[in-house]
Amino acid sequence: MRFELGNRTAAFAAVMLAALTAGCATSGRPSATLQSTSTGDATNAPVQGGINVQGGSEEDFIVNVGRRTFFPEGAATLDDTAQVTLDKQAQWLVEYPHWKVKLQGFADDQGTEAEQKALSQKRADAVRDYLASKGVPRDRMKAKGYGRDRLVGDCADIECTAQNRRVITNPQEEPDF
Amino acid sequence: MATAGAGAAGCLSQADAATKPSKAALAFFQGTAEDNGFVFRLTNWKKIDPKWRRQLVKYKSREPQGTVVVDTSNHFLYLIFENQTALRYGVGVGRDGFRWYGRARIDRKALWPRWVPPPEMRERQPELPEYMDGGADNPLGPRALYLFRSGKDLGYRLHGTLEPWSIGSNVSSGCVRMFSEDIIDLYQRCPVGTRVLVLKHLGAPVINEAAPVDTQPQ
Repeated sequence: MRFELGNRTAAFAAVMLAALTAGCATSGRPSATLQSTSTGDATNAPVQGGINVQGGSEEDFIVNVGRRTFFPEGAATLDDTAQVTLDKQAQWLVEYPHWKVKLQGFADDQGTEAEQKALSQKRADAVRDYLASKGVPRDRMKAKGYGRDRLVGDCADIECTAQNRRVITNPQEEPDF
Repeated sequence: MATAGAGAAGCLSQADAATKPSKAALAFFQGTAEDNGFVFRLTNWKKIDPKWRRQLVKYKSREPQGTVVVDTSNHFLYLIFENQTALRYGVGVGRDGFRWYGRARIDRKALWPRWVPPPEMRERQPELPEYMDGGADNPLGPRALYLFRSGKDLGYRLHGTLEPWSIGSNVSSGCVRMFSEDIIDLYQRCPVGTRVLVLKHLGAPVINEAAPVDTQPQ
């Protein structure tokens, strides 16, 4: 049940899991990485240090690199934009070698459940292979496809599908793989 | 439609494109970077109020993840993340940025966009070219994201700027302008099809038509 979870949020994951099993989750949406640890809870309260993010922290990765790689319909190809994002990810991962990454692939495309699962795995594998080609050791990466699970938005429109056809790169210090 | 949004509709940028930055202006830059064959000036963050810098914040919203929310009144742009958080960017808002609000979608994205000065701007400043190719002196900066609704170009866009000091303020022209570093970052994070919500702005300030076309730092 751990999707898109950073390692700092293990406790939060437990809470979310409890919430899901209790049936009070609102959307079946992937739970998340970001949990505010700041005291402020109002809109605009800084989360995880605001601009004072520590270089090499998970927040640094989220704010200054970005976890998401997007894909065209029905494909696991990496376009120019995806490669720019992955170049930044690779650079960061080479610079901060204590991090491992879980690469979570998703699909919202044509085809059966099995086909979409296979496509999401191909997407995650494509990201892994690209990062490896840029110097990230393969033993620091785990690629897994989740098919059409955990949609960001559920509609036939590109507004939903573009967000769903993705791979999330999750840095983990103590990986669950 | 190859150049859709290149300037047909109302959202335009500053007209000082070709002028050399003053010494005061140059203090807002530090170093340069190369991007897709062009060189642009990097922002000197020491000169920028920290509140306008990209940062992770709490954000309470019903918008799904990946949505861009533009709050023109407060000069912030948010990219919605999970768990009521968002990545917040500071923006500068031009007169045309206040002319419209509501829902839209990013249907087109451009690297080093061309700029077509509107006819009325060229009347005031005949020295302006009919259009300007993308590049280091182009006022739209390194990226532009074009907003559409039902396939129609709203003439509203998110773009870069040559004037980092204008972030966080209202300026006389332009749509929604961002630091070069930030519009490049946002471009990476928003696939074509990204939902955009421009919040209703209350009492958008009237900008004096007679005022200088842009705000140069003194």
